[in-house]
Amino acid sequence: MEVINPRSALLSNFEVLELLRDLENEHLARTKTAIRIKKEEEASGISSAARHPATIEITENVRTVQVEAIQYLAAEYQPTSSQTSTGITQLVKDLSSYDLTKAEKLQIVNLAPTQPVELYVIVEELEDRLGDAMESVLSTVSASLSAASSQPVNTSSPLRLTSDTMADLSLQYPSEDFDDGAIVDDMIFDDEGQGVGVEGDLDKEED
Amino acid sequence: MFNLAILKDTVAIHPSNFGVPPEQALIVELNKKYANRILHDVGLCVSVFDLSEVGEGKVRYGDGYLWYKTVFRMVVFRPFTSEVLLGKVKSSDESSIRVSLGFFDDIYIPAIYLPQPSCFDPNERAHFWMPESELTKPHELLDTPTVGRMYIDMGEVVRIRVEADEFYDDEPGPPKALEGVAVAKEARRAPYSIIASIAEQGLGSVSWWNGAGAEEEDAMEES
Repeated sequence: MEVINPRSALLSNFEVLELLRDLENEHLARTKTAIRIKKEEEASGISSAARHPATIEITENVRTVQVEAIQYLAAEYQPTSSQTSTGITQLVKDLSSYDLTKAEKLQIVNLAPTQPVELYVIVEELEDRLGDAMESVLSTVSASLSAASSQPVNTSSPLRLTSDTMADLSLQYPSEDFDDGAIVDDMIFDDEGQGVGVEGDLDKEED
Repeated sequence: MFNLAILKDTVAIHPSNFGVPPEQALIVELNKKYANRILHDVGLCVSVFDLSEVGEGKVRYGDGYLWYKTVFRMVVFRPFTSEVLLGKVKSSDESSIRVSLGFFDDIYIPAIYLPQPSCFDPNERAHFWMPESELTKPHELLDTPTVGRMYIDMGEVVRIRVEADEFYDDEPGPPKALEGVAVAKEARRAPYSIIASIAEQGLGSVSWWNGAGAEEEDAMEES
């Protein structure tokens, strides 16, 4: 194992939140598909003692950090959940007209200060460098936030359903409670791509 | 708060996973190894971002695994010095306040980095700050009325500035066994801890500085 570059690029909280949410949605979609397949196999009497070739297990450490990080980043006291990628691109473009370092711009994106005192904390020597521009910086930030709609992804209910089953997901049959949840969740999750593709592939492997 | 680290490693895929597209299988194996773990001098690994280069899978003599040499990018949590973060107070004791971010708990604010003058109130088990007070001795501060005190309670959202971070690489000792039963691991120093400060204006409990806290803001501007 070798560390080639311990810090090659900085990421904003928004990007990390998006990445983690995508991974979580993929994982949940795969989980639901796997359970659906198991139910079908059960129903048609196929013995599935052998592990299905295409299942992927997710270990506890991965899920723990994903869940906790999403919880932290999507908290109400954080501005991250009300940001969008267009809002942030616009904000960064506007901020480039002021004399700010990369770290300060990143912090402004992450913390979205709307009050002068918050800006004091982020930018050193605020009066000398920005002076009157301070107000315009703050209004640019609020504009990027208010333009965004809140994220539609609903993370709370699926977590309740999966947190017990995910640890030993691939081999065990899920608890009976899951059954009702799985059908309801079909409405919420956008898994049209996943479901079709995976099930198609599985048929080939069944040879 | 987060950055990308480029890492190089060799990953083995078990034959049972040959049905999965190799990129997916590699990412799962890498996440199994690195997620939620601390890499010395790099930070807390959150998740694999993507694979940059993957060599051909090679079979070794003696086992059926396919070994891939990979170069990949990993999302790492490592706030830089003087970065400002929001966190929740997890616990306080006489010498420090411990702040947690949910996925990372080892952030400490030692007493020197509290706004002056502050004191620890043993009845409330919390630190409090007396803005604009000229008292310095703890016993004088403890004599003040509780109304004027700005407490830093458990669960409060605080804005902190990172002052320093430390990595410890404690090697685990040989496994100790008492009468054939392995002894459970004792608590070790946290492999990665962050020292933070709330001593400047704008830092500390978020409620102190919101629109309602305009008085503190004006008052502190003079100091």
